[in-house]
Amino acid sequence: MDVMANIVYPVAGLIGLYAFVSLASLVWEGIDRKLVARMQRRVGPPLLQPLYDFFKLASKETIIPNTANFMFRAAPILALATAIALLAYTPMGFAPLLASKGDVIVFIYLLTLIGFFKILGGISSGSPYAKIGAAREAAIMVSREPAMMLALFAILWRLGKLRVNKPFSMEVFYQYNIWEIGTPLSLVGAVILLYVFVIWLASEIEVGYFNIPDAEEEIAEGLLAEYSGRYLALLKLTKALKTYIAASLVVAIFFPWGIADYFNLTGLPANVVNLLFHTLKVFILLFAVQSVFRATTGRLKITQAVGFLWKNVFLASLIGALLIAMEVIM
Amino acid sequence: MNGEAILPYLIIIPLFGAFAMPIVNLAGKKARDAWAVLISALTFIISSVIFYHIWNTGEIIVYTLGAETPFGQGVDFPIRIVWEVDLFGAIMVFIVAFVSLMAVIYSIGYMKHDTGLDKYYTLILILELGMLGIAITGDLFNFYVFLEIMSIASYALVAFRNDTWEGIEAGIKYMFVGSIASAFVLLSVALLYGQYGTLTMGYLAVKIVQNPTVTAKVALALFIAGLLFKSGASPVHMWLADAHPAAPSSISAMLSGLVIKIGGIYAIARILFSIYTPMAHSIVLKAYLQPHINMSAIGWVIIIFACLTLIIGNAMAVIQTDMKRLLAYSSVGQIGYILLGLGISIAAYGTQTGEIALAGAIYHTVNHALMKALLFLVAGVVIHQLGTRNLNELSGLAKTMPKTTFAFLIGAAAIVGMPPLNGFASKWLIYESSAIFNPILGAIAIIGTAFCTAAYVRVLYTFFGRPSEKVMAAKDPETSMMLPMLLLVLAIIVMGLLPWQISDKVMIPAARMLEQFRFEYINALMSLVGGA
Repeated sequence: MDVMANIVYPVAGLIGLYAFVSLASLVWEGIDRKLVARMQRRVGPPLLQPLYDFFKLASKETIIPNTANFMFRAAPILALATAIALLAYTPMGFAPLLASKGDVIVFIYLLTLIGFFKILGGISSGSPYAKIGAAREAAIMVSREPAMMLALFAILWRLGKLRVNKPFSMEVFYQYNIWEIGTPLSLVGAVILLYVFVIWLASEIEVGYFNIPDAEEEIAEGLLAEYSGRYLALLKLTKALKTYIAASLVVAIFFPWGIADYFNLTGLPANVVNLLFHTLKVFILLFAVQSVFRATTGRLKITQAVGFLWKNVFLASLIGALLIAMEVIM
Repeated sequence: MNGEAILPYLIIIPLFGAFAMPIVNLAGKKARDAWAVLISALTFIISSVIFYHIWNTGEIIVYTLGAETPFGQGVDFPIRIVWEVDLFGAIMVFIVAFVSLMAVIYSIGYMKHDTGLDKYYTLILILELGMLGIAITGDLFNFYVFLEIMSIASYALVAFRNDTWEGIEAGIKYMFVGSIASAFVLLSVALLYGQYGTLTMGYLAVKIVQNPTVTAKVALALFIAGLLFKSGASPVHMWLADAHPAAPSSISAMLSGLVIKIGGIYAIARILFSIYTPMAHSIVLKAYLQPHINMSAIGWVIIIFACLTLIIGNAMAVIQTDMKRLLAYSSVGQIGYILLGLGISIAAYGTQTGEIALAGAIYHTVNHALMKALLFLVAGVVIHQLGTRNLNELSGLAKTMPKTTFAFLIGAAAIVGMPPLNGFASKWLIYESSAIFNPILGAIAIIGTAFCTAAYVRVLYTFFGRPSEKVMAAKDPETSMMLPMLLLVLAIIVMGLLPWQISDKVMIPAARMLEQFRFEYINALMSLVGGA
């Protein structure tokens, strides 16, 4: 049935994924806080603390500043809507729901759009703190995305040479992966690109060095300075979703292996098992990139962070991409 | 329906409307406004019928003024003026009539405080008439006449507010530069007539194929030079950056959305494809080693101007503090994209890349007409309500004028090329074809977009910021100004939801008809031989 296959199943899948990922990403935040607390010899909050926070925030009175305009209220909703739409394009142990030729551009676009809406919401509050946070967010955003795009396009282009039916789709990662090319050049290139993606992930979820736009000690939580109540709850949820999605991308590129085949599963059970295994991989990756990085490093200055992203990460991305492309070009 | 039968009304109605305006004006202000709206609405209906007819049947309408056939008795060459409309012409007719209607409705509220409005509405209808004439004509001198009608009306409209210094200054600048450009066009018309003895575009194409002389090349050079002036390509875009801000905003919307496209882009495309037939010169004559005009070189000339325009226009937009000036420079930048698509379609003629580029150029022409009209109307509202165009004073506009700001948000997102809106598909076609044709051109196009994004994000940053003192007293405008903006926003969103359908069903056929692989444009004329 056409309607079933094209509309009903994707919508049902999206709702299911949204419910699962919201829960998983909030639980991860609880785990993260617990782990960091343990690293600092504290007891830390309970694992479900982010859920309690969410409901608490959602039930509190929402204060709208006098200077705010309509975007202040629209931005959290738009950001969350974008994040939910993005779930349909995110590889999560299986091909994305709406996998199609060239969907990588939609993925990058939507991922960036979340940040853009956050910026719009921040400046719409009229608070100067939020404005500073927005300027920082924009600077980081412009600096971090080119490195990721270059690396991602290089990998997808290289995998596209292996005769896939949907080039430049996120689905490709489950047909071939970057380690399979197997030549020394590509292996070195892939390791360099892994470095690029790890740093990108850290800057995307703004931890460690890159916890700059929200820096609560300097600019009173920056972009979020004026947000309260349920809008803040929505933004926190969006951030959790975004963390999971960005980590999913890195996992799909570098560690796409599923385990369903070992249990001879097909269809829905296979997808569920792969999703759970994927989530485990996401948690492990986030442990390294988020928890450890957050516990062991402090914040850079905005100029240092921008310099680091261009001079170090983008350069690495360039070298890695060239190494990956080398054998095809030559 | 018979396409030839209703084509003349496209000219008759606005002409009648314009000439009757001074008389209707005697009946009072309301009658005058209603008359202008009525005439442009009728024109819009006629134009949609013509567009639908040509799109549906895929035929080229040929209409002869004054007789059944353009061929005289006993002679085998056309001696009468013909109008010849293919799908590209019909698209332009449609978009011209639509945006003009929006501008006229908008003028009711926007121009309320000005005087001499009977002349204003006459001029605006004459401007529309000139543009429609350019789109439908198949005669070279007729083309020149309509070009002048359009140009003179726009000089007058730019300087319409003659109590402001900048209106007069920009008007004089525009007039001097535009007259020189028109003189170039007239000179090349004269050269072609002297060499080949005919002015009918389709027949002239045949004559040039038979004997491609140096005169034809000189005439082409003059055409391109003159029409690049009119389209506001760099390095001759300086008039545009003055004229568009100085004109009343309803006029800026027409100038930026329509005049530079129909008088520049459309005319260049028409002359290159219909008079200089790249099919004959790039493929047939070349294959038989006959003397021919090197069309690929001409394509590259246009590409070079396009790249310059793209970078300069968009980069200059980033540093503007005047809102309308920013939009004017952005228009220059977008013209660069359209020229890039056009140039590639000539340089890569006969390949699929060339076809995609041409479809992208046509598509972007339409899209840019809609979004730039919207953006200028928004700018007009801001000026009307606040009396300033200085972006530094407009902080926090979203607080007090939410609908206007929303319209600007949509327009800006569309012009940058954000996916759910119409700008994405057309820009994508141009990026794709330029990247396939030559990756460096693709990179230049992307750099242009980066500048464009920076320019518009900066404006949004201002609009959504903390409300300034000046802004606090403002509010959204009256209905007659909101309605055109709303309709344009709707058009942008709806077109954005069906990008590839529009591309496949309208733009690709238009590009194919324009490329005339089987000499359709010439054949449509020649099929009338002996028809009398």
